[in-house]
Amino acid sequence: MPVGLSLSGVSRHFDGRGGRVAALSGVSLEVAPGAFTALIGPSGCGKSTLLRLAVGLDLPDAGRVSVGGLSPAEAARKGLTGIAFQDAALLPWRSVEDNIALPFDVLRRPHDAARIAELIALVGLTGFEKALPGELSGGMRQRVAIARALVNDPEMLFLDEPFGALDQILRRQMNVELQRIWMESRTTTLLVTHGIDEAIFLADRVVVMAARPGRIARVIDIPFPRPRRAELFGTPEFAALEAEIAGALDGH
Amino acid sequence: MAIRAILALALWELVGRLALVAGGALPAPSAIAIRFWADRGDYPMHVWATMQGAGIGFLIGNLVAVLAGVLFAVSPVAARLARGVNIAIFALPAIAIAPILTLMTTGMTPRVILAALGCYFVTMTATVTGITQADARMRDVIRAYGGGRLASLRLVELRSAVPQILGALRIAAPAAVLGSILAEFGGGGRFGLGAYLIGSLGRADPARLWGIGLAATVLAGVGYAVFAMIAARVTASTVAVTVAATPPAGDAPRPLWQRAALAAGSVLLPFAVWWGLIAASGAPAMIAKTPMALVDYLMLPNKAGERILDALAQTLPITAVGIALGLGFAFALALGSVLRPGIVRAFMPVALVTQTMPLVALTPLLVLIFGRGPSVILWITVSVTFFPAFVTMAQGLQMVARSALDVPRAYGASPWTVLRLVSIPASAPYVFAALRLAVPRALLGVMTAEWLATGTGLGNLLNQSRGYLDYGMIWTVAVLSVLLSVFFYQVVVWIERRVLARLGMTTAA
Repeated sequence: MPVGLSLSGVSRHFDGRGGRVAALSGVSLEVAPGAFTALIGPSGCGKSTLLRLAVGLDLPDAGRVSVGGLSPAEAARKGLTGIAFQDAALLPWRSVEDNIALPFDVLRRPHDAARIAELIALVGLTGFEKALPGELSGGMRQRVAIARALVNDPEMLFLDEPFGALDQILRRQMNVELQRIWMESRTTTLLVTHGIDEAIFLADRVVVMAARPGRIARVIDIPFPRPRRAELFGTPEFAALEAEIAGALDGH
Repeated sequence: MAIRAILALALWELVGRLALVAGGALPAPSAIAIRFWADRGDYPMHVWATMQGAGIGFLIGNLVAVLAGVLFAVSPVAARLARGVNIAIFALPAIAIAPILTLMTTGMTPRVILAALGCYFVTMTATVTGITQADARMRDVIRAYGGGRLASLRLVELRSAVPQILGALRIAAPAAVLGSILAEFGGGGRFGLGAYLIGSLGRADPARLWGIGLAATVLAGVGYAVFAMIAARVTASTVAVTVAATPPAGDAPRPLWQRAALAAGSVLLPFAVWWGLIAASGAPAMIAKTPMALVDYLMLPNKAGERILDALAQTLPITAVGIALGLGFAFALALGSVLRPGIVRAFMPVALVTQTMPLVALTPLLVLIFGRGPSVILWITVSVTFFPAFVTMAQGLQMVARSALDVPRAYGASPWTVLRLVSIPASAPYVFAALRLAVPRALLGVMTAEWLATGTGLGNLLNQSRGYLDYGMIWTVAVLSVLLSVFFYQVVVWIERRVLARLGMTTAA
């Protein structure tokens, strides 16, 4: 069963040389079980901070974060969450399949070889099971990271700009693939992204954030039916939503 | 390359044949080879003895170093507490404690201990650096799945520290050989290259001294090469060849009283270790001196204080001049290498060879060439400080970002202007790193030269006291030279912090 994510009145600040920076100020957000939510905003709006709080890598100064009713750290220890980072963050000395198996090692579960093989096929890396990350292209490494994020059948999936380092063409291909993978699993997903088109194409709901202090500026629902096809990127409705989100990012 | 080597060898042969250097102090390669052949019966047992001391010390020292490194990486409090001990081990001039070890222990033990001490610091810092600098993103992956510190250590950090540790073992191997030979100087056993060297000093036979020196260099070089090969095979990546000279910081924001307590503990711990080791050894109080016993000794009306001050007045100035010259040359050459990158390519192999060449093998050779006057001390000090400083600074300057160099260039700046505006300020952290590295090495170099050649200063006082069985003086000189070394190291660190903070830079390893 997919679980939901809930943030209520969450604040987090950092003390730096230039004084106190309010990375997040009074942020509340509900992500319903099974929903795909995209988080978008300018640099420094606190979206990475929000994600780190939701994953349990950081603790809020005020407010509450819960994943399926548990604290993020508890949820992580129970193996409810999966995560893919901005950078693939693969262990360079482990092969593709061993990298995908890493969450099993942390959670102290036996390696599920069938599941690993299935995911390798799903992300289109069959034949590269024994390859080391250094031998793969950037796009292939990112797909390994996504397979790793899915390997423990998470109820809640976090994706932190997983395609940020890819070129536009590869990015579109990965968007289509991610939608396919998501539709098969229907895991609750929170995607942090810089790309307006990517957010619209993938999400049910786009959360637009603003900086100084980091806060939620607007929430925009995306009405397109699924499965969405690559042609969608060229439609006038798509362009209108892009313009609306760009406007929200500019503070309208 | 091969042609140049042959030419150099031919030139050396000619110079040696005609006895051009200091009346035959530099023998021809053929003469060295002939002598070596004549001595061939002696070498196996001496080489084997040195290898035993160095090898066992290498194993023990590195094992302790890796375990300590893991502890310091995991616990900042432990790192802070052990800082004093770590700096003392880094800075202690091995030759100063060799006589003490010979007094307190027997057989191979002094060699093993000095070899282990020679390995400890470099491997310990490499382990800490390797673990703490493990990719934060990989650590995040582990933590995101609820993994704790141990899971992170097991799955990510220890493995990512392997290249760093292998890089350190490469440097530790020659250091272990040097440690073993220095202990042999202090008088432990009949066999070993160090014992052979001491035994041959009296005979005016330059060819044999060169033979022993070259054998020691080859032994150290083989140790270096073996681990360089393993490192290249395992990691297929390059690690800096410089030695880290900073102990792990372990600084975290904590209340003032805690910081004060940790600092005090860190200063007291080395003395506690000293006391504890003496108590544990059970050696008679006449030989084994505790800190209190040394204070008593200095109170005796035997003019010990005067003799020490006289020795210091001889040792310190020349150490300072040696450091200044060595670092000055190194800095000039490193800056030159920015203008002409060929300099690095030409000098790096030489620098690497001299890094692996045991200082003790070099000393008698320089004595042969430069005689027994003060100039030989300078030569030795410059040669032990120059190359590591040069390697540190040249590598540092190479790390200056291309884009930082390109900005003044884009405005038409000459190479000199680029040097003045970018390279020289950017080199500040590396100059200090080189200085921290140079201080203990210089003191070791000066004391070795004084002991073996000039008969002056602290080194000589130590050697004499050994002869007179003046245990109080042996301990005093040993402790004093460690304290001096630590003191100057801390002075450098103090200045470094202020200067770098003002420049907005961070410390280089």
